[in-house]
Amino acid sequence: MGILVKDPGPLTTVQDEGRFGYQQFGVTPSGPMDARAFHIGNILVGNKRGEGSLEFTFKGPDLEFDEDTVIAITGGEIQPSLNGSPIPRYRAVRVHAGDVLKFGFATGGGCRGYIAFAGGLDIPLIMESKSTLASKKLGGFEGRALKKDDYIGFTAPKADLPDFEKRWVPLPVYPTKEVSVRVVLGPQDDAFSEEEQKKLFWFSSKVANECDRQGYRLEREVPIKHIKDGNIISDGIAFGSIQVPTTGQPFIMMADRQTVGGYTKIGTVITVDLPKVAQAKPGMWIRFVNVSMELAHELYIRELSEMDALEKSMNP
Amino acid sequence: MDIKILMSGDQAVSVQMGSEISLEVNRKVLMLLEAIKKSPIPGVREMVPTYASLMIHYDPSVISLLKLEEEIMNRAENMSDIGETKKIIREVPILYGGELGPDLELCAELEGTTVEEVIRKHSTHDYYVYMLGFAPGHPYSARFEEPFSFKRRDTARVKIPGGSVVVQLNLSDLIPFEQPCGWNIIGSTPLTICDYRKEDPFLVHAGEWIRYIPVTEKEYREIRRADEAGTYKVKVIEE
Repeated sequence: MGILVKDPGPLTTVQDEGRFGYQQFGVTPSGPMDARAFHIGNILVGNKRGEGSLEFTFKGPDLEFDEDTVIAITGGEIQPSLNGSPIPRYRAVRVHAGDVLKFGFATGGGCRGYIAFAGGLDIPLIMESKSTLASKKLGGFEGRALKKDDYIGFTAPKADLPDFEKRWVPLPVYPTKEVSVRVVLGPQDDAFSEEEQKKLFWFSSKVANECDRQGYRLEREVPIKHIKDGNIISDGIAFGSIQVPTTGQPFIMMADRQTVGGYTKIGTVITVDLPKVAQAKPGMWIRFVNVSMELAHELYIRELSEMDALEKSMNP
Repeated sequence: MDIKILMSGDQAVSVQMGSEISLEVNRKVLMLLEAIKKSPIPGVREMVPTYASLMIHYDPSVISLLKLEEEIMNRAENMSDIGETKKIIREVPILYGGELGPDLELCAELEGTTVEEVIRKHSTHDYYVYMLGFAPGHPYSARFEEPFSFKRRDTARVKIPGGSVVVQLNLSDLIPFEQPCGWNIIGSTPLTICDYRKEDPFLVHAGEWIRYIPVTEKEYREIRRADEAGTYKVKVIEE
């Protein structure tokens, strides 16, 4: 038993932690855009942190349940309701056979959300992962975003979970106008003069309409100039790489990015700030802040131990 | 050896083994990959060989950057030459021209020669696969003899079909999935370049060679049918 998709919403895909080990073959990892919201969702419903969930954009899917289970909705301010009554985000919620889950539009901060299902979804592993790479018809539900009348089974639904009333965390705040995003320089920062590097941080960049799981195009009034040009011998691309082609308009590479590329990358968004980019909407401003690698690592390790502590407290 | 370790964010480094696209530099990249596979570095999650650099994804909660750099340099100094190993060639059937190779005649025109001569140049020499990237199973490959003189088309096509074989200069790529493309399409392979149903979904791998085998339309259809049924065996030659 499982869920019937009554309305898929603009873009709803199955994502687990990601498909790792295949970038050498040109297969991008995919996985959640906002890993923090994704992990918390799974922890709230007693799953492994990287279990497959549904990721949605701007509006969630309408789902009908035919079996009792526990879900949690995390991510941006996209208001869920169950049988017409609002339900909380960032809290485990019991659902029953016959219930219908619906969503409003993303009107507040953030634009991406997650629905975690206790026990996980019955999705085949392809190259060891449930993640969807829709552009390459890979993984997830039939290699694509969900459609009306799709049916996804549960693996091991749970009508209840221990310490149910403790299964919540405070709501995060996602900015609506401007977001500061920390960056470490490299790998090709030396393709830019020091002056031009500074300009990346002095002036904000606007999120263009072309922003999706592959990447975020940014618009700057003053383009970033290269010493020579924006071309390099194609090399590997990390999650959060800020590509600057010869036009001088940056592009942040996200979960469904290409594995390699031939444009200079001035810097890379630090791991703990990737969710901020993932939740930024078109028209918002991103202010990049230059930080040291030491700080980036310290913040990552701190976040990891906070997530470990949360998991231990809820799912000992 | 002039090795540079570049920072690709807080969880990856790009180890540059040289600053040119050449067989020699690419071999070094693959040698370093093998050296680390043989003697793994704790905390390394994934390695991605490219033209001239090896991208190494790591977990900073397991290994510090300083230690990682030390371990990489240590492997680089002790890597053994794989230059003497066998040349692995995969035979890839190709139907030149026709509907699936709409630019064959244009290529001949640009080259100032006959269609037969273009086919001869393209199918006589083996192509070295520098890396896979852009899309799953997409090889970046090149031959080292008799390059064409033409580059890209003036305007790119918005969509070309999977299976297309595209060319410019000494380069020839196999296109696994429908995509935009600015290169000329010389022909098409009946094989599925990336087949998720297979245990190893990828037709070719980095460091291997591609040999194009011209086939007739009839052979193309037969191979296509066998490939779809999962009964076609790609011929692999070791030299």
